[in-house]
Amino acid sequence: MTNSGGGKDDDEALRRRLDRLSSRLDERNTRPDRNGDEVDVSASSTSRALSLGMRVLSEFVGGVIAGGGVGWLLDKALSTGPLFLIVFIGLGTATGFWNVYRMAAGSTGARGNSSNDARK
Amino acid sequence: MATPGKAIDPIHQFEVTPIIPIRIGGLDISFTNASLWMIVVLLASLGLMVYGTRKKSLVPDRLQAAAEMTYEFVASTVRGSAGREGMKFFPFVFSLFLFVLFSNMAGLIPGSFTVTSQIVVTFTFALLVILTVIIYGVVRHGTHFLHLFVPSGVSPALLWFVTLIEVISFLSRPISLSVRLFANMLAGHITLKVFGGFVTMLLGAGAFAALAPLPLLGVIAIYALELLVAVLQAYVFAILTCVYLNDAIHPGH
Repeated sequence: MTNSGGGKDDDEALRRRLDRLSSRLDERNTRPDRNGDEVDVSASSTSRALSLGMRVLSEFVGGVIAGGGVGWLLDKALSTGPLFLIVFIGLGTATGFWNVYRMAAGSTGARGNSSNDARK
Repeated sequence: MATPGKAIDPIHQFEVTPIIPIRIGGLDISFTNASLWMIVVLLASLGLMVYGTRKKSLVPDRLQAAAEMTYEFVASTVRGSAGREGMKFFPFVFSLFLFVLFSNMAGLIPGSFTVTSQIVVTFTFALLVILTVIIYGVVRHGTHFLHLFVPSGVSPALLWFVTLIEVISFLSRPISLSVRLFANMLAGHITLKVFGGFVTMLLGAGAFAALAPLPLLGVIAIYALELLVAVLQAYVFAILTCVYLNDAIHPGH
């Protein structure tokens, strides 16, 4: 609902302003460093370091626990003493290091190169 | 401790106690404080989204702005780490994120119960994520999904070893996903309680009561840190869910 007293000049000015605004918006959105990623919580360096530290810890512990679990289950199924438990705890530790290495190398896996580009 | 029966117990807050005992056929399905807080969390997140967006006004009020920001934030996370195709999992990731965020936040209310400080809850979420990944990956790609475990460009002599490591690594995902969230909430809440206990102990220790404000300051600082951790862990849970879903969408190369 435009004011009837305003006339054509106001419409013209309004349209020009809208055009200018939308072109500025387009420019902002297409700028390479500003594609919506920036608004995340991990923006501040403290919180990013905090979350990275917790991730390293849990990835490592997760690897060891998963390896031990697999070994324990194999031992239970095959009733082969503590053989597989020992072997798989070693493998699990290796997995833990591998997980941490992958994170440190900035990748979610040998195959995860595309995803890691998107996540910086 | 001054009074023997009333020791300060930092673990007490994690106890699940039945409010309405219900037993059906030997199964204990009582309505506990955990169930109560899950419902509170559910209603709070529903309230934010449904009540916040009821007006759909062009210029949002505060609640609508909060709801829209949460939506946009999770949407950009999903798009960023799982690609456009990942958006079909957006409702799943968004519900998980909201539930974890609200339970972490509700846990910070003094006297409340932290749902995510129970490993049963977080491990159930992690299993849900991993089962979604496996089922979707197998349905979509069939046996090609197994290429997830066979990295390309590894010498054949080492391939069996790396594949074994990759399988264990995949199995470790639900564990690390659940343990991280659970351990963060547990450790934070215990630290808060222990520092709070220091305040009361010092107050009851004669002249040392002059030192009591020191741990109180510590509690305030840790509380601020816990607020950060609560939001951050919900975010980390959501983004790792997206990363794992990405593996189901594009396994191998």
